[in-house]
Amino acid sequence: MCSLKSERITEQIKIEARLARLQKVKRGATRVFFFALPFLSIVITLELLATLGVINPRLFPPPSKIFLTSLTLASRQVGGVSILLIHVCSSFIRIVVGFSLAALSGIFIGTLMGTNKIIYRLLNPIITFIMPIPTFAWVPILLIWTGIGDRTIIITIFLSALFAIIYNTSLGVRSINKQLIWAAQTMGSNRLTMFLKVLLPGAMVSMITGLRLGLGYSWRALVAAEMLAAAAWGLGYMVFAARAFMAVDVMFVGLFLIMIMGYIMENGIMGSIQRVTIERWGMTRET
Amino acid sequence: MKNWFHKSLAENSKKNALAFLYFLAPFFLLFLAWEAASRLQLINPILFPPPTKVFPRLGILLFSETTAGQSVLLTHVYYSLYRLLLGFVGGAFVGVFLGILMGMNKYVHAYFNPIVSLLMPVPGITWAPILILWLGFGDSTIIPVILIAAFFPIVYNTIAGVKSISKELIWASQTMGANKKTIFWKVLLPGSAAYIFNGLKLGLAHCWRTLIAVEMLAASLWGLGYMIFDAREYLQTDVIYAGIIVLGAVFLAIEKTIVRFAEKRTVEKWGVLAEI
Repeated sequence: MCSLKSERITEQIKIEARLARLQKVKRGATRVFFFALPFLSIVITLELLATLGVINPRLFPPPSKIFLTSLTLASRQVGGVSILLIHVCSSFIRIVVGFSLAALSGIFIGTLMGTNKIIYRLLNPIITFIMPIPTFAWVPILLIWTGIGDRTIIITIFLSALFAIIYNTSLGVRSINKQLIWAAQTMGSNRLTMFLKVLLPGAMVSMITGLRLGLGYSWRALVAAEMLAAAAWGLGYMVFAARAFMAVDVMFVGLFLIMIMGYIMENGIMGSIQRVTIERWGMTRET
Repeated sequence: MKNWFHKSLAENSKKNALAFLYFLAPFFLLFLAWEAASRLQLINPILFPPPTKVFPRLGILLFSETTAGQSVLLTHVYYSLYRLLLGFVGGAFVGVFLGILMGMNKYVHAYFNPIVSLLMPVPGITWAPILILWLGFGDSTIIPVILIAAFFPIVYNTIAGVKSISKELIWASQTMGANKKTIFWKVLLPGSAAYIFNGLKLGLAHCWRTLIAVEMLAASLWGLGYMIFDAREYLQTDVIYAGIIVLGAVFLAIEKTIVRFAEKRTVEKWGVLAEI
């Protein structure tokens, strides 16, 4: 009797669990469907318009052709590696190198500016003036100086991220309560401890804002610099070089790759950095 | 009373003058060091021409005349600003309009949100080569590209702004018999103004950066970006530096005067300046 009852209860629980799972899957499916719906509608409209000959398929290639082109590009190989992969990787390496250099030196200079009054007075006006200058303005000089290639692109990325990071870091450090610094000093912390335990966490919110802004700027600078200064590889170069052959389908493949890479960078990487630093320390700003 | 007022005014202007001096001093030092290093050939004088060469070049650019009898430099600035204005205003209109629609209507939001959020991280400049093929060189490419660059931050912030308005405000105005137009002008727009303003500021900055890049790629004859890029061909680095100085000055002027003025007249007046 008792066992029968418990059996029925477990059966009930199982059924409920299965139903809940089903509902979850269903909800996920509808979400995916509604996310894909606008893209599907655009793709179908473009495809129809192209096949009906309303729009010039050479200038506005139908989505099916773009897809086929992406397959061909992905399967074509140079030295055993897919062409698309090389484009993506060279862009990725450039932005990683340029941005990490900018982050390191930006946080260093920003902290110096935040803690030292003389350095702040010296550098702040210059940074205020340089910050609104589009980084691409330096590209012509860099082209003369370092020539076409990786060095120019990486320096452009570096410069575009640097000032936002410096500015926001110094803002964050300057906004730290002085008493905290004094307290740490009286308790005998050395410079390293001070930096790691007081200044860095205290300025973190503002610093992350700076890093975020800097990453966005350097991402934009990457694509533009690759158009102006890349020798052979990179997504920006791929899009720009395709113009010479009127290969609009190749351009769109490049555009989609840029879209995916940018999306991953802005939402995936920066989002997770924010999660493990600011939110863990309970310092999220309510916006 | 009057005496006190004058005294404080004098003190104030003294303080301002001092602040201005403090602002200028680092530039002076930088230029001095630069000049010395360049003259002594510590740095390559072709790559880093001394300021005494750059500033006269700025003057020459300013006072030399085009065939139409206008100052060369001012013509470049004029073309850039004209493009900036058209692209930015276009992007702002489309962005605010679509943003408010998306913030108000669930279905519009469901349809456009995936597109906007996926296309947002695409730099505006990516569209330049495609638009060059579609629309040709010159303004017909430059203006749409900076319109795209302005659009995304504006639409994103407008959506956030409209969503931040509490439902009760809208309900209250509805029960008091406000029609759609009144709700738009009196509730939605002021309520989301702080966010929209933030978006417009960001959009303007994006516009400005993209403008210079796209002028290098697609401009014909005029525009600051074109001026700088063209100078490279003749190794006129002094022209490039003069252009860079003008770029900084122009945008700083825009930010400190027009943006500041707009901020005072709208967001601050309505008292909705949010700390975002």
